Amino acid sequence: MNDILSVFDMLAWFPENISTFGQELDNLFAVIYWISVAIFFLTFGLMGYFMWKYRAREGGRGYNYHGNNIVEITWTILPTILFAGIGVYSDAIWETTKYSSKMPKPDVEIIVLGKQFGWYFLYPGADGTFGRNAYNDRTARALMSATNPFGIDENDPASADDFVVENQFRVPVNANVMVRGSSIDVLHSFFLPHARVKQDVVPGTWMNIWFNLFKTGTYELACAELCGGGHYAMRAEYQVLSKSGYDAWLDQKAMEKAAALAPPAAAAPAEGETPAADAGTDTGNDTGDVWSE
Amino acid sequence: MSTSLAHTEEHADHGHAHEHEHHDLPWYRKYVFSTDHKVISKQFMLASLIFLFIGGAFALMLRWQLAYPGEAIPVIGHLLPDTWVAEPGSGVITPEFFVQLTTMHATIMIFFVIIPMAVGMFGNFCIPLMIGTDDMALPRLNMWSFWLVPPAGLIMLAGVFTEMGYAGAGWTSYPPLAADINKEAFTFSGQTLWLISVFMIGFSSIMGAVNYVATVLNKRAKGMKLFDMPLTVWGLFITAIIATLGTPVLAAGLAMLFFDNFFHTSFFIPDHLVSGASFPGGGQPVLFQHVFWFYSHPAVYIMILPLMGIVSEVLATFSRKPIYGYKAMVFAVAGIAFLGFIVWGHHMFQSGMNPLLGTTFMLSTIVIAVPSSIKVFNWLGTLWRGNIHFSSAMLAALAFVSMFIIGGLSGVFMASAPVDIYIHDTYFIVAHIHYVLFGGSLFGIFAGIYYWFPKMFGKMLSESWGRRHLFWSFLAFNATFFPMHVLGIGGHMRRIYDPNVYDFLKGMQGMNEFITIAAIVMGFSQLMLVGNILYSLKWGKKAPRNPWNANTLEWAAPPHPGHGNFDMDITVYRGPYEFGVEGRELDYWPQWEPGKSITVHHHTIAVSDDTSTSVGMH
Repeated sequence: MNDILSVFDMLAWFPENISTFGQELDNLFAVIYWISVAIFFLTFGLMGYFMWKYRAREGGRGYNYHGNNIVEITWTILPTILFAGIGVYSDAIWETTKYSSKMPKPDVEIIVLGKQFGWYFLYPGADGTFGRNAYNDRTARALMSATNPFGIDENDPASADDFVVENQFRVPVNANVMVRGSSIDVLHSFFLPHARVKQDVVPGTWMNIWFNLFKTGTYELACAELCGGGHYAMRAEYQVLSKSGYDAWLDQKAMEKAAALAPPAAAAPAEGETPAADAGTDTGNDTGDVWSE
Repeated sequence: MSTSLAHTEEHADHGHAHEHEHHDLPWYRKYVFSTDHKVISKQFMLASLIFLFIGGAFALMLRWQLAYPGEAIPVIGHLLPDTWVAEPGSGVITPEFFVQLTTMHATIMIFFVIIPMAVGMFGNFCIPLMIGTDDMALPRLNMWSFWLVPPAGLIMLAGVFTEMGYAGAGWTSYPPLAADINKEAFTFSGQTLWLISVFMIGFSSIMGAVNYVATVLNKRAKGMKLFDMPLTVWGLFITAIIATLGTPVLAAGLAMLFFDNFFHTSFFIPDHLVSGASFPGGGQPVLFQHVFWFYSHPAVYIMILPLMGIVSEVLATFSRKPIYGYKAMVFAVAGIAFLGFIVWGHHMFQSGMNPLLGTTFMLSTIVIAVPSSIKVFNWLGTLWRGNIHFSSAMLAALAFVSMFIIGGLSGVFMASAPVDIYIHDTYFIVAHIHYVLFGGSLFGIFAGIYYWFPKMFGKMLSESWGRRHLFWSFLAFNATFFPMHVLGIGGHMRRIYDPNVYDFLKGMQGMNEFITIAAIVMGFSQLMLVGNILYSLKWGKKAPRNPWNANTLEWAAPPHPGHGNFDMDITVYRGPYEFGVEGRELDYWPQWEPGKSITVHHHTIAVSDDTSTSVGMH
């Protein structure tokens, strides 16, 4: 019975909020919710009362009355004021969450790509800047492929420490995280339920998504836009880490990356003929292909 | 004498001879390629009822998967084709087939059930009868507007014979997914056929709509001013204007998407996709969403405005009261229609369009709540001080009003762009659309069927079975769709095959099971409607001319009117909702009855006595 009644305690069903603006969104939801509950009881109460009070009686007659302009104007203006109020209140929150001009200065930047059916995340690595890729240089889109979805230009020295993770990402707690999102095939939607973040990612376009999470832990990322049969399984996990934990992870990734790049001679044969041919044309400082590990 | 072509045998001598010069038509012109608006209306009804059950069966199959993931669908599971199931004979549907089911369910319900019923069936039946004329202005166009529907439906369902099966990009068919980016050019997929099919149904809509506008403007009975028209006709008339303006835009969008899908052009395909087929690139996927919603948002009003009219009709008749604020109702409908064209972006708050547009569309969307609330208040005002008879039609109309209130209120949540961030593409949206389209439109359609069945077929439906049908539908409807709000608040995405993939959705399996059981009850409740219709057609009581003591012109026609509709000359003397007029013995005053009245402080008072020679009464 309690299970059934819990359906009516709607607000309790939200997953725990972990983002700074999430509380504002939840509060706005609650305001609209309580207004709706009030209107629901008002209208249903009137309707039920009229149905009971004015049920057909023997010899009864309806009251011939065609309406009243003052009443009409009243119930035009009152909802207008109410709904306009909701609109103005909503817009303030909308602007802080989505307007590019109002986004805070980012502490961490990540580039995200959706694909059928998973997620790639690109981090700038130790130097804190991205090398040339499809996000910061449109011409690099020509490099995009299934093995190099970000179109990373390996000839750019700044690319050397950029690293990619798949279907999981990590962010520091209490930091402004800026995500640049896109897709390599169809539409996807970057949905972090606990962070109250949702943004479709569109191939060919980059979306700015930001959030600031105040609670450490492991949470889920879901795709919220139908992208094919495997849509339901397009899941990723993310960890919100303490600053030190996040730095430790970055260091570890930098080491992994360095280890992967250090013996180019050892890595090249494992990759078949094509990299070997590349090695012939390039000088020795070739960074190699991180995508075919 | 050759009269009353559309009459069934037992009514052939009931009508009076019309001195039309028509000759006997062959059977296929009477019952198949007929130009009689009433026959076309019944054709729409039959086709849509068939599609209703196909679409409902699809919904139940996908509900089964959500409630019992990985378990075989009972009874029919083992009969499903091998391409639909995980392993041959297992009865467990595949994820690919699941998204095809969601796509087909929505497409069928919207384009082949609600629109053909709300607009095709009631538009055809009500407009000529309620404005007192013999037929549509353009009967042949009318015939073609129906005869595009069956081929369109068959083409769409033929998707099952293609390699990938039915269309599976959702009823919104957003590219690039809907462009089938891994398919070779010049090959057909279910999606290609879907595009052709919806394009055709769009043409059917346009043909019908042009015809309705022409008919309403040109063929009203003598004395009938625009503001003497019943609200049903107003609703259909304004709907027809929306369809005329909106559908060509949809057709353009579908044509472009068809080119992308079939010829691999790039209207909506950006460059350098990582995909199995090559495209020239340079297109913008979000553009399609703008084009699509520019039609499809007004389309939700196409699906509800006619029913708002029908419900007003039923509420007034069974409350025995004039509609409260008739003109306000007309202006509210016109206001909704106008605003409906400037709110489409609220479907796209999270789509990646400029957030500044989000602000604009949020404000215009919130404004549209105002005419909607005016309508609700006026309906409540109509009940106030009435003498309410709870017939089946009335119960369905009251269900419409109450469910529309809930659907309207949940709409305010998603109209608020920041709230929409979280609930967009969740079950909250699914709950909302079903409260408006099922709780609203479909209950409105039920109201219309219960109300006009005596005029359509000359037989009365069983009231007790009608009440049973509505009781179970209403109960199961709310049990099915109300908990979906909660799923949405929990973050449950729509169109997902198996929610158990996600930890944050783990607590919701019980609710999904409950919803599925309720949905099955709801589906089977509809058999009561079909049974009632079939039983009454054969054994139902003969309908009198004006069974509900209503005022509008269709009740002046004989029960089950023949070709040409009316057996007397129709002149309109007053508005459609004069109930309980002071100075009259009867509590209704048909529009076609002569008689003088004066209006004092919003009351109508009859001032002459010569009303006893009413034609429409028995």
